[in-house]
Amino acid sequence: MTNQIELSGVNKHYGAFHALKNINLSIAKGTFVALVGPSGCGKSTLLRSLAGLESISEGELKIAGELMNNVPPRKRDVAMVFQSYALYPHMTVEENLTYSLRIRGVAKAQAKKAAEEVAATTGLSHLLKRYPRELSGGQRQRVAMSRAIIRHPKAFLFDEPLSNLDAALRVHMRKEIRALHDRLHATSVYVTHDQIEAMTMADHVVVMREGVIEQQGKPLDLYDKPANKFVAGFIGSPAMNFIPAVAGEDGRSLTIDLGSVKHKIAIDHQIQPGRKVTAGIRPEHIGVTAPGQGTFDVPVAVVESTGSSTFVTAATTPELTIVETGRGTARAGETVGVTVDPSQLHLFDDASGVRL
Amino acid sequence: MSDTTRNRIMLVIAILMAAIYLFPLYWMYITALKGGSEMFATPPSFWPGDPQWGTFGYVWESRGMGRYLWNSLVIAVGAVTLITVLGVGCAYVLARYRNVWVDIGLFMILMLQVLPASLMVTPIFVGFSQLGMLDYPRLAVIIAIAAKSMPFFVVLVRATFMAVPMELEEAALVDGNSRVGAFFSIVLPLARNGILVSAILIFMQAFGEFVYSKSMIQAAELQPASVGLNSFMGPNTNEWNNIMAYATMYVTPILAIFVLLQRRIVSGLTSGALK
Repeated sequence: MTNQIELSGVNKHYGAFHALKNINLSIAKGTFVALVGPSGCGKSTLLRSLAGLESISEGELKIAGELMNNVPPRKRDVAMVFQSYALYPHMTVEENLTYSLRIRGVAKAQAKKAAEEVAATTGLSHLLKRYPRELSGGQRQRVAMSRAIIRHPKAFLFDEPLSNLDAALRVHMRKEIRALHDRLHATSVYVTHDQIEAMTMADHVVVMREGVIEQQGKPLDLYDKPANKFVAGFIGSPAMNFIPAVAGEDGRSLTIDLGSVKHKIAIDHQIQPGRKVTAGIRPEHIGVTAPGQGTFDVPVAVVESTGSSTFVTAATTPELTIVETGRGTARAGETVGVTVDPSQLHLFDDASGVRL
Repeated sequence: MSDTTRNRIMLVIAILMAAIYLFPLYWMYITALKGGSEMFATPPSFWPGDPQWGTFGYVWESRGMGRYLWNSLVIAVGAVTLITVLGVGCAYVLARYRNVWVDIGLFMILMLQVLPASLMVTPIFVGFSQLGMLDYPRLAVIIAIAAKSMPFFVVLVRATFMAVPMELEEAALVDGNSRVGAFFSIVLPLARNGILVSAILIFMQAFGEFVYSKSMIQAAELQPASVGLNSFMGPNTNEWNNIMAYATMYVTPILAIFVLLQRRIVSGLTSGALK
């Protein structure tokens, strides 16, 4: 498979601020890539660099095999969907859709036909004569998408396109965007701060922090084998529990320190005896049983139920979050036993946070 | 105090204030219609007993007002055109780029606005006379007014441009347009209202401009209405009804423009006229 987008050794400086640090990323044709990270991590800067709205300071940026470092946005043939949609307020939906075609000198009738076709696939046919201000949030979002689709660009760039929608519509549009991507055999780069969006939509997830790619890979690989503590805490909801621990003398066990509760548990691989580590365990990988029946016992502080699952917070330091499927058995103020499967434990170096 | 009582008191105060502000205008209109003796009657009459409509025709003819107003119009239109063409680009750059030099530029522009016309007129006069521009006195005045009013226009229009989201321009760039193309097809249409309003304000200023015209235009047939009005008055003037008729004919068109467009002007000044 050929690479549609290729970044090698890309750096970006804003004066003294180093916004992107040695970014290497290859995006194969037809893949859906999500750039995810907390705000200020550089994901938007990276996307804007792809679009040509920012210039990169060092490195190479190739789109469809061509070097694009100093090519202006209009010649890159990429389409972008902005967070604010950036619909032209003084143009009707149809004019918004055909804007890029008209600039390229496509005949009026042909542009109109293209707009009608795209509008039919995105359910905008009855809105073509309206102005953006007369549309609802969801409709505006569709117009922004359609404006990108109509061009058949080399790549679609999405800059948090769903963050202005309400929760229900967001979930719906998630599926729709993914379906659209598959139907068009497009190459998409999708920026989001919402790891659920990244996990559910993308073929390839890139987790960024402070201008650095912390880890990239298939969504479930990131979930199963996070490369470091940051990725482990960022991917998955509710977030992974991190517990300070010390390796036992044989290097095959850990003593975890939960403040009031200290417990020795076996681990399934050898580490250096006496080493200080952080043990990570996902809330959904901890089981709840009767007191004394599990790996160890913890006092329960808070129980929150959503109906489909129950969040249990244990009164330990650090707090331990447990997710039980369905109606939970734990009650606030009581003590419960918890079971921990050693194969589900993630171990990170205490100082660097790197996975062991 | 209940809300309605307070509202009523506020209304009364507002009406009172408006009456004080508008009194000179009212006095102008009724004086223009009064006869010679009624003008100086004590106590003064607040409504002309015998309106002298003929005064207007007489003043128009005897003072050659058509020519004066034409000159005012030429100067105002010229100044507005010059300012709009040059100022829009300037305002756009100042709105889109933020750095030390832009801040310095903006500060200089505001400084220019601080200097009063009467202070500037002498150096401008000397400079223009050296350049031989006083041979085209109306053009000289247009340029002087443009220099004087440009800062005001630039500051107003800059605010309008800043209200146009940068993302719209970026969308146009990604959609395949150049920076210049994006400016003309996206930014300019959206800033149109703000530019229009600022241009109208400049027009009204330029239409009533006096200091530069008075000092630079010697030939009576090239003078604007403001200078014509001034030459009407002397130390022993007593034909106040004629002067007021002149003033009425001079300001009523401007007043009419303002009343007709006032909603647009106010909203243009406050909101950047963009939604």
